[in-house]
Amino acid sequence: MMIIANLILRLTFWLLLAPLLPGVINKVKAWVAGRRGPPVLQLYYDLAKLWRKGVVMSDLASPGFIIGPAVAWVALLSSALLMPLGPAGSVLSFRGDVLLLIYLLALARFSLAWAAMETGSAFEGMGTAREVSYAVLGETAIITAVLALIVHSGSVSLITILSPAAGAGVALLAAGLFIVLLAENCRVPFDDPSTHLELTMVHEVMILDHSGPPLAVILHGASIKLLLFTMLLVQVVLPVGEMSPFIATGALAAGVVLVTVGVGLVESLLARLAFRRVPLLLTVAFLLCLFALLVVWKGRG
Amino acid sequence: MTQGELLLFASAVLFGSVVAGFRWPRAWLMFVVCGAITAMAAAMWTLQGSSWEWQSTFMLGGQPLHFRLDSVSAWFLMLVAVMGGAGAIYSHEYWSDDHYPDSAPKGRVWWSLFLTCMGLVLTVSNGLHFLITWELFAVCGYFLITLDRQRGETRAAGWLYLAASHAGTMCLFAFFALLASHNNGSWELGPMRERTGLAPLFWLALFGFGVKAGFFPLHIWLPSAHANAPSHVSAIMSGVAIKMGIYGIVRFSGWLPVPTAAPWVIMGLGTVSALFGIAFAFVQNDFKRLLAYCSVENIGIIMIGIGVALLAATHGDAAWGRLALAGALLHVWNHGAFKSLLFFCAGSVLHATHTREMSRLGGLLRTMPWTAGLFALGSLAVAGLPPLNGFVSEWLIYLGLFDAAAGREPIAWFSIPAIILAMSGAIAVASFAKAVAITFLGRPRTSTAAHSVECGIWMRGPMLALACICLAIGLAPNLFCPIMSEVVAEWRPGQEDIQALAPIATLGAAQMTLALLILAATALLWRQTCRKDLRHGRTWDCGYALPTARMQYTSASFSGIAANWLRRLFLPERKLRRPRSIFPTEAVYMEHFQDAVLERLISPAAAAVQQLYSAARRLQHGRLQFYILYVLAGVAGLGILVMIGGGQ
Repeated sequence: MMIIANLILRLTFWLLLAPLLPGVINKVKAWVAGRRGPPVLQLYYDLAKLWRKGVVMSDLASPGFIIGPAVAWVALLSSALLMPLGPAGSVLSFRGDVLLLIYLLALARFSLAWAAMETGSAFEGMGTAREVSYAVLGETAIITAVLALIVHSGSVSLITILSPAAGAGVALLAAGLFIVLLAENCRVPFDDPSTHLELTMVHEVMILDHSGPPLAVILHGASIKLLLFTMLLVQVVLPVGEMSPFIATGALAAGVVLVTVGVGLVESLLARLAFRRVPLLLTVAFLLCLFALLVVWKGRG
Repeated sequence: MTQGELLLFASAVLFGSVVAGFRWPRAWLMFVVCGAITAMAAAMWTLQGSSWEWQSTFMLGGQPLHFRLDSVSAWFLMLVAVMGGAGAIYSHEYWSDDHYPDSAPKGRVWWSLFLTCMGLVLTVSNGLHFLITWELFAVCGYFLITLDRQRGETRAAGWLYLAASHAGTMCLFAFFALLASHNNGSWELGPMRERTGLAPLFWLALFGFGVKAGFFPLHIWLPSAHANAPSHVSAIMSGVAIKMGIYGIVRFSGWLPVPTAAPWVIMGLGTVSALFGIAFAFVQNDFKRLLAYCSVENIGIIMIGIGVALLAATHGDAAWGRLALAGALLHVWNHGAFKSLLFFCAGSVLHATHTREMSRLGGLLRTMPWTAGLFALGSLAVAGLPPLNGFVSEWLIYLGLFDAAAGREPIAWFSIPAIILAMSGAIAVASFAKAVAITFLGRPRTSTAAHSVECGIWMRGPMLALACICLAIGLAPNLFCPIMSEVVAEWRPGQEDIQALAPIATLGAAQMTLALLILAATALLWRQTCRKDLRHGRTWDCGYALPTARMQYTSASFSGIAANWLRRLFLPERKLRRPRSIFPTEAVYMEHFQDAVLERLISPAAAAVQQLYSAARRLQHGRLQFYILYVLAGVAGLGILVMIGGGQ
């Protein structure tokens, strides 16, 4: 009984809270630019509307066009459920669950790539090629960060590697993971979610042909992914396991808000990178995580 | 009835199939399937924990016959039996008498012999007999690869295979002969871990078996052989035959003492193979070559597991080594299943369209839904994505690496392969997203692709069976735990149970839940989409009204970004003529990724050797007078030698 209640609470948290983050980012961007901007709850309205709308499907598309987003959404939600929530712990924790989380993200990527390529459009091909190629560096950086945490904590399940303080390399890890967060969630300087020039987009161009409920599912999945990466980053930095539950919850919430505002500020103050510079920045993220790993090794003696 | 009788029956049936193969395809098929099922039964029996041994006084080549089937060889025998049976059924339609009246009977006969030889390699327990069966197995492979001898490409691939294979066999000759001389002339094989003097011999075995396994940089024969062979042959070569090399490495690393550097070397080679194999796969435009290079990656993953296990064995039998070995062994099965499935699907596409160029295909999902669906499943499995089997074995290997990193030991930093493994995993996702998308999705690029037809039931059946294996290992990995523990314990005796080391049952439950959630979410989204008005329209190509099939992203453009990063490494052959002047005439851009090791290293070396010999050939010009002069000079030289030697 407790488990079911726990699961329902967790699902509510991830499903209901995730679309708030893009709203906050947009508010920050509007505030920096001196505009009023869309309401914080805008994504909720969009999702509700899209869910009720009809669908236009390309002549070339097969059922995979709809199955792809569904699989991606399930994969993202499942990886979110694996992520511990500070003092509340995690719903399912076992040795090596961190790998399942990383590979679920890869599954989401594969199925979205499939759905995008269904339409036979060169633009979507372009976006997909960029997405899967950049992810190579992103995934490498994430696993390096995870390895640093594993070496530091001496354990291989998420809940124990995230609870202690990350030690001397924490600043490096935080910087590396923040860059990966920006890349994986299609934020500036890797990708501009508000652009309308198809030639220069990555994630947005992959979903050009989607509409109605499948598009709603994709957008909701993207917001879950953003919250997931934010949670990861915050828990890597904060020693949530060493605080009292009350303080930990507060710190976690404050951390999430801080990272979200940070993303909004980056988005307002930075321009997009030229495409040939994107791999360089991602390599920097990887190197930061690698140095964090070396620091941990050195510190362990 | 014992395993011995089952094996005897299996080999008798397979010999029957050799005879039947010439004339009666249906009888052949029945015999092969029957033999495969019997061999499977014997292997399963052995994997339950009772090994079998049979020694006879009958001498062959001066050595007594000695057979042994323990759980390590049974594990590989299972793979041979399953894929051999599946491939036979597949070839019944794919390489039928109607299509290939000349080569189909030969193909059947060589297939039976190939399976028999692999079975013998796995069961003989005498060095001399091992060499004989190993050589027969390699030669059968050559004839299978070159079934379609009309094409020059195939013949070249066959020669390369034969040459590489014999380079490996030469090392094995040395290995077994030296082993016998250390054992006072006895060729008997068996555990001899305590005799540390034998350790250096392991390097010979590593090279000899490594050529067959095809890890980097010994993989040179593999891409062309697997791409040009008939697809059912590619499937068994890639799924099973290269695993014989892995069998050799596992077997002799378990039986012999290993040099201290060996674990590091194996791990290093595995890491390099994993990364380079998949990077080369990503830039291929020929889907069978892509699959072939991907095999190099998977062999690399298996090697990482073996390397970790060996390292653990030299560090007090740490538990993480057993985890990694279990992962490597499971990956042997997994790779056998999904790679054979992918090659079968590739064969089905080839059968329908007669081209291996991905950029001439596209949109096959409409005409070949079964092949497309099964290829997608195989792609998910090979990319190591949950909830399929590829993830389970990679997870075990990762867990071994992570546990080693978490343990507070100085050797922990060898967990670096984990990073490379993740990188190659991400490239695998990219490669298979590309293979699926360019071949099966979008609009057909040529009329052959548009008018392709789905393969028949004989080809579809084995594909479905292999897909079921992928699903079963993925969703219920804990069922395979007891036999996996059995094999790991046989490798180097120990007591650990894999289930106690890794929460594999939990992982299985998680994968099952994930699969059910995917089904549920798909059903929900499908209902919501179809409930409202579902309209069809043209793909929105940014307002362009007349998109053509040629405007789709091609295979080369898909991998262009990654190819650009790795240009220094791949050294592609490029031809670029830019359009010039106001009325540009002809412009050319050609880029071809050949195998860097073969083209830049082995070929130049071979050319140099050839040049050396062609210098010597100048002596041989066909003029009789000179030949008489050579004879005279030779006699005179001998005479002088005798004079100086003083006539002893």
